Amino acid sequence: MAAILQVRNLVKRFGGVTAVNRVSLSLEAGKIYGLIGPNGSGKTTLFNCITGIEASDSGAVGFKGRRIDGLKPHQIFHRGIGRTFQIIRVFPELTALENLLVVTTGDFAPARQRAEELLRFVKLEALADEYAGNLSYGQQKLVEFIRVLMTDPELILLDEPAAGVNRTLLNELLEAVKALRDRGKTIFLVEHDMKVVMGLCETVFVLDHGEKLAEGPPGVIQADERVIEAYFGR
Amino acid sequence: MKHWTRWFPPALALALLLLSVYPLWATGYGIRVMLQLFMWIALAQSWNLISGLTGYVSFGHVAFFGMGSYATAILVVKGVAWPLAAVGGGVMAVVLAFVIGWPCLRLKGPYFAIAMLGLNEVLRVMASYFEGLTGGGLGLSLPTLDASVRIYYAMGLVAVAVTGLTYLIVTSRFGLRLMTIREDEVAAEAMGINTFRYKIYAFLLSAAAPGIVGGLAARDMGYIEPISVFPLVTTITMIVMVLFGGKGTIWGPVLGAVILFTFQELVWAHFPHAHQVLLGAIIVTVVLVMPRGILGVLQQKYNLPRTV
Amino acid sequence: MLGQVIVSGLLAGALYAMVALGLGLIFGVMRVLNVAHGPLLMLGAYITYWLFSAVGLNPYLSLLVSMPVVFVIGVGLQHFLVRRVVDAPELSSLLLTFGISIALVNFAQLAFTSDLRSVEFITGSFLIGPFAFSKARVIACLFAAVITALAFLFLQKTRLGKAIRAVSQSREVAQVCGINVHRIHMLAFGLASALAAAGGTLMTVMVAIQPEMGAVYTFKSFLVIVLGGAGNYPGALLGGLLLGLVEQLASLFLTTQVNEAVAYVLLVLVLLLRPTGLLGGRST
Repeated sequence: MAAILQVRNLVKRFGGVTAVNRVSLSLEAGKIYGLIGPNGSGKTTLFNCITGIEASDSGAVGFKGRRIDGLKPHQIFHRGIGRTFQIIRVFPELTALENLLVVTTGDFAPARQRAEELLRFVKLEALADEYAGNLSYGQQKLVEFIRVLMTDPELILLDEPAAGVNRTLLNELLEAVKALRDRGKTIFLVEHDMKVVMGLCETVFVLDHGEKLAEGPPGVIQADERVIEAYFGR
Repeated sequence: MKHWTRWFPPALALALLLLSVYPLWATGYGIRVMLQLFMWIALAQSWNLISGLTGYVSFGHVAFFGMGSYATAILVVKGVAWPLAAVGGGVMAVVLAFVIGWPCLRLKGPYFAIAMLGLNEVLRVMASYFEGLTGGGLGLSLPTLDASVRIYYAMGLVAVAVTGLTYLIVTSRFGLRLMTIREDEVAAEAMGINTFRYKIYAFLLSAAAPGIVGGLAARDMGYIEPISVFPLVTTITMIVMVLFGGKGTIWGPVLGAVILFTFQELVWAHFPHAHQVLLGAIIVTVVLVMPRGILGVLQQKYNLPRTV
Repeated sequence: MLGQVIVSGLLAGALYAMVALGLGLIFGVMRVLNVAHGPLLMLGAYITYWLFSAVGLNPYLSLLVSMPVVFVIGVGLQHFLVRRVVDAPELSSLLLTFGISIALVNFAQLAFTSDLRSVEFITGSFLIGPFAFSKARVIACLFAAVITALAFLFLQKTRLGKAIRAVSQSREVAQVCGINVHRIHMLAFGLASALAAAGGTLMTVMVAIQPEMGAVYTFKSFLVIVLGGAGNYPGALLGGLLLGLVEQLASLFLTTQVNEAVAYVLLVLVLLLRPTGLLGGRST
């Protein structure tokens, strides 16, 4: 199957620190990928480079066969990549519904319909007109999640979707992710919760100190000595 | 709070009606006072469009007022009728906004603010410099004309127009997008919003009315010079009016303009520097205690919709 | 001719560097853009002026008064006002310091009137070879250089100085290491104010003293910080010297009025082309 996302030798430095050091990876369409690694290993930075929020120092990122490194975030978004953030970034002074509508272009009516559908999907339709800043942590997380889905992106990057989320909600989220995969979407998630990663991802990449340490199916990664060492030390 | 939505529109219509017949029985002085109030409303609303909605603080906004003044004055001296000349002033202000905004709005919020800080001075210096066109430090005199009443209506029209524009923007997706820039610019970009383009739109829109009322004010005063049309205190007053009344709201700037204008008429004429010290103190107080302004606080407390 | 211009530029640059270092400290430590920096400079100048006219105190000696007094004012501003917006969006601290600056400038106008004043203390020039340098400028540069050097020694060698640098890099980590961040903020603001006041004092013998004299230095200090890179303290030095040079060179070709525009255009250019500064610092 064709690779939908290709990262080649990506490098990102911050002053004297190399956050991402010649990382290469390739994602095929229609699968769920995981990105794990100890804190500070460069996972969010990698996401930021892919989505254009940070400009990489060297290397290339290709999406559906076309280079996207160097593009601005909003351009990358419109190419078909959506993401959520490690720290929730809903727009607090917009209502839940407005948070969803603001990312759409084009006709208002179908957009509104879709927004209401998605709100019903995560059982938040009663809070549609509540200011997002007033919602609970879990509710905001859901809003951020469905906001990403509003424009039907082909590649979805999720940055720690399980963080701070209770079990029931988490299961719903995971089911939603699997449903998306079944519809042909590609999902790439950063996660610390190993159970989530192992249960959900088909391939897992491991980053340590900005370098790709290992890549493979969850079972293999779990047993990999280098990975264990990176997390727990020698 | 449903009472609000019921009596507000008729109250507003009544106020507008009264204001439109006011010149019939008011004194010359009264007309000029109200005319200035309209001007301040237009200025405050405009500042709100860029700084209140997108969060990009424009410290040099009086530049557009001054630009409008000069453009209009020059046109009038060349024989153009003042209403058309005032529109010309607005156009020139928008052009200036484009010239400045194109480089400066690429900068992130605080840096943009710094760039705008210096703008005031630069323009004042340039107005003095291009003497041939602007009369330099000696200023520019317009042919005498008593058009106070007509200017009253013109200013009123602009004030209503800008308020109406604000209403349209705040209730549209365009307005939502502007607000996301204020809320979280990085997330807005990541969600596909071309923040640069929207900032430019807001900036251009926010320059039009100051340009027009600058032109109208020039016509009304009959004489302008660099220091009178580029004073920092105009920007300061705009800012205080919006902060105090409630930035990012529709009626906040109007409320702030009315309150502060009244205050200004009472204090400024007699104690200009004490007045400005108070303005500074008001800014400090509002930022620390009431950052959302009066209307913002009311909105939060009574859970009012954004359109109030 | 060129040599004269270059040295003049460096002389002026030293003063810019010292004042800008103050602004840079506040920004580096608290991420606050202190619009009131210029007015603090102005206060230093007025203190020197009043001491000179009242008791005939040598303006250079009055550094020993103006710097501590404005240091205390700075600490007070930080403790009572600025502290509350350090964590708020940057817009808030901008507006706050803007409000403070308006209040200070107009307060000065009330208290001192806008009459121009000056301190007649040193006139004449040093003649070195073909060059002539105004004595006041040379002495100001020397003092500025010494004060800046002391400031750097403080930052590099003392415990408090290192704590300041630590907080500039990461507030959370500094807190974990037991540093009282609030005290460091107060210290930084106080130091910055003292540096501004020193600038004001040194300028009393060179320029007219009036309440609005500080505004242009706020702007130029921003420019220097942007040139040198935010949070990059040595960068502020080089930025200051660079600004001094550019201004003097520009004055060869342009009238003094347009000189103001030079600084402005330079700022916009640098912000567009290299927002992290010519030497690299943090971007916001």
